[in-house]
Amino acid sequence: MRALFGLMAAAVLCGAIISVPAQAQERSAVRPGFVLPPQSGKKILLLRPSVRVAEQSTGGMAEPRAEWTDQARENIDAALAELQRQLGNTVIAAPEAYGEDARRVAEHQALFAAVSRAVIEYQFFVGNRLPTKKRDNKAGQFDWSLGPDVGKLPGADQADYGLFLLTNDHYGSTGRKMLQIVGLVAGVGVTSGVHAGYAGLVDLKTGDLLWLNADGQMGGDVREPDGAMKRVRQLLEDFPGSAIPKEVAVAEAGPEAKP
Amino acid sequence: MIPRTFSAIAALLVVALLPSAATAHKLREQGVVVTIADSALTVAPPRDWNRLDGNIGKHVETWTLDGGQLNDLTFFAGIEPGKPLVRERSKKREPLPRFSASTLLVELPELFEATYRSAKELADFRVTEVQPTRFLERDGVLFRYEYVDPDELTRKGEAHAAIISGRLYMISFDAPRLHYFDRNIEDYRRIAQSARLP
Repeated sequence: MRALFGLMAAAVLCGAIISVPAQAQERSAVRPGFVLPPQSGKKILLLRPSVRVAEQSTGGMAEPRAEWTDQARENIDAALAELQRQLGNTVIAAPEAYGEDARRVAEHQALFAAVSRAVIEYQFFVGNRLPTKKRDNKAGQFDWSLGPDVGKLPGADQADYGLFLLTNDHYGSTGRKMLQIVGLVAGVGVTSGVHAGYAGLVDLKTGDLLWLNADGQMGGDVREPDGAMKRVRQLLEDFPGSAIPKEVAVAEAGPEAKP
Repeated sequence: MIPRTFSAIAALLVVALLPSAATAHKLREQGVVVTIADSALTVAPPRDWNRLDGNIGKHVETWTLDGGQLNDLTFFAGIEPGKPLVRERSKKREPLPRFSASTLLVELPELFEATYRSAKELADFRVTEVQPTRFLERDGVLFRYEYVDPDELTRKGEAHAAIISGRLYMISFDAPRLHYFDRNIEDYRRIAQSARLP
């Protein structure tokens, strides 16, 4: 209990001395000049989504939870199977990869995640833009790439574009949620949980990122079928040529932020 | 309970401070000679770079083209004997290896590896090549390395280092093995070639 009071005092102090400015945050972008009309005849290779679910300790450390991850993967696969028909163009599933092919796919997924994080951190987060990227923005640039090796991915020779999807969720433990409540009382934002989702369309010849929808705090509890559907809808809502309607009310934070 | 609470408070402070702190990356313009980390070391970048804001060490600064995740060019501009290469998160719980007056050129790759393993929490780091070189017009060492970050992305790197008047001068570059390393390794080498120390 003494520790809890100490914590509250610290949170109040933080609230009193720190004023966090609200920064504009973008979530999606399209490479200038890229258009993908519905029924364009182009083929989209859907790579197997990268799905991770972990539990977040009081201090914020992530501990992977295999059973949550398996459940989320199943839910996301089901949601995708339903929604991919509404993407407006032919979607083909990437073939199962083995050995060297599987390693190559995993490395490209990891690179896609790193590029997405860089876009969020240094382009979407307006107050933190790199000076060279600021100048690019003035010229309407969105210039990011995974490189031409994407053309070697299994199934890439059968399609024009590759669709990468990634979700990474950390659900707050009881201790973390308590810390969040203390922060709320004191007026200091403490995030309980991470709910990152990135969806990106890549040119399979050049590796250039043509469209990206990426956010560190998405809605939908991927451990539940409805939540996974919400997450996948949110990931694909701005997809070029898509007929998927936008979510009416997009959660600003993760599902736990709601009472 | 108490240490855990302190960690939580520290995390709270970090979260609260982050948005207002990370706003001052600086442009490093093509052809303009600049000093590194307030030292006598200068470079003349052959293309525009961004100097990342952030205090990772007294004599250290990091430049990037697309973000630290995708290209990380770090200068170590005169590390003094007895000091680690970068600032320690916790001297007590997570101490970093130190450069010392008796450190030899051939031991620098090992010092770099131990620092990376600890500071970046790496399980997999390999020095793939070590060879003598000339750096800052003195005898130096060039080494190449490869590692896998906790984000499961394999990165390749190259570094040039020399010990001058008892201090360590080094420039390192690392980037994802896929696409990014090959795309910018020559940009790094040209910066290393442009480095001068009076």
